[in-house]
Amino acid sequence: MFNKLSSAPVETKNASNDGSNPALTSTEEQSSYDPVALHPMAITDGNQLQYLDLETNTKRAEGLIASRGFLEDLSYGTGAMYMLGLGVGGFAGLVEGLRSTSSTMSARLRSNAILNSITRRGPYIGNLAGCLTLTYNFVNGGITAIRGGEDDDAGSLAAGAITGALWNSSRGLKPMLISSTLLAMTTAGWCRLKHYVAPEDDE
Amino acid sequence: MAQTHSTGDHTRDPCPLVIVNDFGGAFAMGAIGGSIWYSIKGFRNSPHGERWQGVRSAVKLRAPTLGGNFGTWGGMFSAYDCAVKSIRKTEDPWNAIISGAMTGGTLAVRGGWRHVRTNFVIGGIILAVIEGVGIALNRYMVEAPQTPVLPEPVSN
Repeated sequence: MFNKLSSAPVETKNASNDGSNPALTSTEEQSSYDPVALHPMAITDGNQLQYLDLETNTKRAEGLIASRGFLEDLSYGTGAMYMLGLGVGGFAGLVEGLRSTSSTMSARLRSNAILNSITRRGPYIGNLAGCLTLTYNFVNGGITAIRGGEDDDAGSLAAGAITGALWNSSRGLKPMLISSTLLAMTTAGWCRLKHYVAPEDDE
Repeated sequence: MAQTHSTGDHTRDPCPLVIVNDFGGAFAMGAIGGSIWYSIKGFRNSPHGERWQGVRSAVKLRAPTLGGNFGTWGGMFSAYDCAVKSIRKTEDPWNAIISGAMTGGTLAVRGGWRHVRTNFVIGGIILAVIEGVGIALNRYMVEAPQTPVLPEPVSN
């Protein structure tokens, strides 16, 4: 995704000392004229195309866990956690269904019981994981916005702790503390994993 | 970025990855919409004095489920869309219609063949309507500003 900006090479050497432009030749610094001084991305060597790179203008746009803003983080995080929860819950349901049924049952009855078990466990854990990630992302986005765009591990940990506290907020102080600690620890694990998998995202 | 010849939306990610995005987006839409919907419903259906408790329990009980239903639909639709795109190698409204029908059919698979057939047709019709409205809107938006106002000729 490149936009062609200009194909004309920047004349740096030939334009000097021919006397056609007194404004240039009369100055002392003309000999040390450097296009980079005008703009850090100026072309300094001959016939080269200049490209405007649209993709890498934002912070952390490259890398394995790329971030292109709040909404992308929100939907990718929620989607990934929902699918993960669905898979884990579905597997737990499968194991449970296999255990609770016996092989002497008819195949039709048994498969129905196992499917029931899967669809009872899977969506429950998936929904829970999805909702927690959704809340976490909103809280994290709020914290980032309050801190003026600063998004680091401390903010993520705080967001995890707040999400955990909100989750069990109707059950009293002790469950709140427990779930808050649990989610803060999960967030810490995620941050650790992120640094390990994609160290190029770090400043 | 991979070289693609699609005329589709370039703001979206390439195919296998976009499924996760759609799952999450649909889940978020369902969960947030469900929170609003069920908080109103819980408020109206609770007796005076227990209104906020009613809101809380209704939202906690139903909003995640609605989010999950939305997420399953959206994610499965996206997965089918990617599969259909890769098989047909084209991008046209038929992709969405086919994947809508497939999604409807798949989600009804536990209800028996008649149920699958009905939901297959319903899913296809819903997506056909959505695509049709999209095309109509697009045409309307494009054709509307086709008569530029010419300036009055200056007469001396």
